[in-house]
Amino acid sequence: MADAKLSFMENYRKQSRNFRSPLWISVYVLAAVVVLGFMSGSHLIRMIFPYAIAYTIPMLMTALGGLYSERSGVTNLGLEGLMLVGYFATAITIKYTEQTSYAIALPLGLLVGVLAGALFSMLHAFASINLKADQVISGTAINMLASALTVYLARTIAGSGNVRIMLGIVRKDIPLLSKIPIVGPLLFTQTYWSTWVALAVWGASWYLLYKTSFGLRLRACGEHPSAVASAGVNVHRMRYFGVAMSGALAGLGGGTILITYSGEFNGTVAGLGFLSIAALIFGQWKPLGILGATFFFGTATTIANVSQVIPEFGVIPPVVFKVFPYVVTLLALVAFSKRSAAPKASGEPF
Amino acid sequence: MKKFAVVLCVLLMLGSMAFAQGQTATAGKQLLKVGMVTDAGTIDDKSFNQGTWEGILKAQKEGLVEAKYLKPSGSTEADYLKEIGNLYDAGYRFIICPGFKFETTIFEAQDKYPAAKFVILDGEPHSADYSVFRIEKNVVGVYYAEQESGFLAGVAAALQVKTGEFGFIGGMEIPAVQKFNWGWQQGIKYANEKHGTKITIKAENVIYQGSFDNVAAGQQIAASMYDKGVNVIFAAAGGVGVGAINEAKARATAGKNVWIVGVDVDQYNDGVIPGGKSIILTSAMKYLDRASYDMIKHELAGTFPGGTVLRLNAQNDGIGIPVTNPNLSADVSAKVAEVFNMLKTGAVKVADTQVAGLFK
Repeated sequence: MADAKLSFMENYRKQSRNFRSPLWISVYVLAAVVVLGFMSGSHLIRMIFPYAIAYTIPMLMTALGGLYSERSGVTNLGLEGLMLVGYFATAITIKYTEQTSYAIALPLGLLVGVLAGALFSMLHAFASINLKADQVISGTAINMLASALTVYLARTIAGSGNVRIMLGIVRKDIPLLSKIPIVGPLLFTQTYWSTWVALAVWGASWYLLYKTSFGLRLRACGEHPSAVASAGVNVHRMRYFGVAMSGALAGLGGGTILITYSGEFNGTVAGLGFLSIAALIFGQWKPLGILGATFFFGTATTIANVSQVIPEFGVIPPVVFKVFPYVVTLLALVAFSKRSAAPKASGEPF
Repeated sequence: MKKFAVVLCVLLMLGSMAFAQGQTATAGKQLLKVGMVTDAGTIDDKSFNQGTWEGILKAQKEGLVEAKYLKPSGSTEADYLKEIGNLYDAGYRFIICPGFKFETTIFEAQDKYPAAKFVILDGEPHSADYSVFRIEKNVVGVYYAEQESGFLAGVAAALQVKTGEFGFIGGMEIPAVQKFNWGWQQGIKYANEKHGTKITIKAENVIYQGSFDNVAAGQQIAASMYDKGVNVIFAAAGGVGVGAINEAKARATAGKNVWIVGVDVDQYNDGVIPGGKSIILTSAMKYLDRASYDMIKHELAGTFPGGTVLRLNAQNDGIGIPVTNPNLSADVSAKVAEVFNMLKTGAVKVADTQVAGLFK
C-alpha cells in the first residue's frame, strides 16, 4: 500500500512538471492569432474576441465539469446530454418567468439549469458508482436519453420542440476597464455577465481542486482509489461529488448557450459536449489546460464562422478554418497520447 | 405455462377479430390518408415543416383527410425512403415532402410506389447527379418564385428604412436560397431607382453560411455585420437565422437600430423584445400551407396535376409578404401592394438568375 501511495505521489509530481502539454501549443496558436490580428488592425480583434469568448464559455464550463468527474475517477461521456438537459431546463424556466420579472428570469433559469444537470447526472453516478456499470455505456445512455427526453418534455410543456425565450443577456462594456488600450477592447468590451460568473467558477474550481485537502482527496480518488480509501476517505461519496459537479457545470454550460448566443432551445447543443471532452483531453485534465483548449476551439470556430463576412480573412477558404480545430486536436492527440496525463483510475469502478 | 399460452392465443384471436370488425365498420367513409415526411428539423420548426404541416392539418380539421407525419432519424436519402415506406405500409397513399432534399428520394419512390401519390415542395424529382430529370404521373413538383418574394421584402425594407446598409445571410447555397438573395438585391435596386431610397449593399455582406442549423454562426455573422454598420439583414437560413434574430434582439434592446427580414413564414412573433416591439421588419413568405392544402383539395376533386411541375408566384398568390406588417408604415404597405400587383400583371419582372450587378 505504501508503495502504491508512493507511485501516486511520483505520478502526481510528474504531472505537475508536464509543462510541455498541448496547452502550450494552443497558447502559441492564440498568440499567433493575436499578432496576426494586430498586424491587420485592432478592429479585427474587436470583431472576433467578444464573440469567441462567448462561444468558449459553455465549452469551458462543460469541460471543467468533465474534469471534476474524471479526476474523481468516473469517465463521463454524457456531457453532451447533461448540457442539453441544462439547456432545456434553463429555456423552460425563463419562458415561464420572463413575463413576470425579466430581471430575475435569466439568473433563475441558469440556476435551474445547473440543478437539472446535477440531478440528471445522478443517473450516471448511480450506474457507474453503485452498480459498477460500464461508464462508457452509461454515459452514452445519458446522451440518448437526454436528447429524446428534452424534446419530449418541451413538446408536452411548451407545445413545441423549439422553446424560444424573449431575450438573452444584453452585452455591456465594462466601465473604465474597457478603456484600457489593447486589453480593454479584447476582454472588457461587449461582455456577457455570465462570462464573469463562469470565470469565477473556473477560478474557484482551480482553488478547490489544487489548493485544498478536499481537492487532493478528490484527485487521488481518480488515481488510486484504494489508497484513498485506506486513508479513511469515502471514495463513493467523493465520486458522487465529482459526477454531480460535472452535471451542474454542464448544465451551466448549456444554460449559457441559451442566454448568450442562441436564444432558443432547439433540441441539440450541436456536439459542444463532445468537443468539451476533446478539450478536456487536449487540456490534459488541468484547469489552465482546458481554459486554453476551449478558448482555442472557440476562437478557431468563431474565425471560421465570421471569416466570410470579414474581407481580411477572405483570402483563406472558410473550409480551412472550419476543419482547423479538429485537425489540430487530432494531431495533438496523436503527438501527446504517449504522455497523456489521464487520471489513472478514471473509468474503473471502485 | 401452457394454459397461459392458450389463453393468450385466444385473447389475440378475439382481439384481431374485434379490430377486423372495426375496420369493416368504418370502411364506408374511408378518408384519404395524407402522410408527410419531415425534412431536417422538427415538425414545429416555425418554418418549412410547420408551414407544410399546417396546410395538411387544415384539411384534417375540415374532416377531409386523415393525417400523419413521420420524422426520419437522419437526413439522408435512405432515411427519407424508409419513412415513406413506413407511411405507405400504413396505408398512406398521398405523401407530401417539404424540401429540396427529397428530390432524389422521390425520384426513387415514384417508381417504387406507383400506387402512391407524392407532392414535393421546393423541387422536382431527379437523379443524384442531376443527369436525369423525370417526373411520373403520380408526382407533383412545386417550385416557388423565391426571387419575387425576396424582391417584395427588399422593396418593403428599403422603403421603410430609406437610408442605410443591408445584408443577406443565406443557409446552404442552393437555388431556393439563392433566388431569395437575388430577388432581395433586385428589390433594393428597384426601390433605389424608382422611389429614391439610398440603400447600399456590399458584396462582403452577402453570404451563405453553409448550413441551416448552425445557430452560433448565425449569431456571430449577424453580430459582425451589425458591427460593420449594416442595419437590415435578410436571413434566409433556418436555424442560422434564429441566431441572427437573437443577436438583433439583444442589440435592439440596447437601443441600436437593427432589423431582420424573416423568411418562409411570418416571423414577426419570433422577433418580439421586451416592450412589445419586434425586430422583424417584414418576412419574405412562401405560402407553404396553401400549397399542401390545395394539393389535397385537387386530389379529392380528382384533379391532381400529376406529372407536372408547378411554379407558385405572385400571379397565383403563392408568395408575398405577410398580410399585416406592424413595422411597415401604411404608406410603405400600399406601395408594396402596388409592386405586388405589377408583379402579377408582369409589368415588373424579377430575374431568377444571377444577372449582372448581383452578388453571389
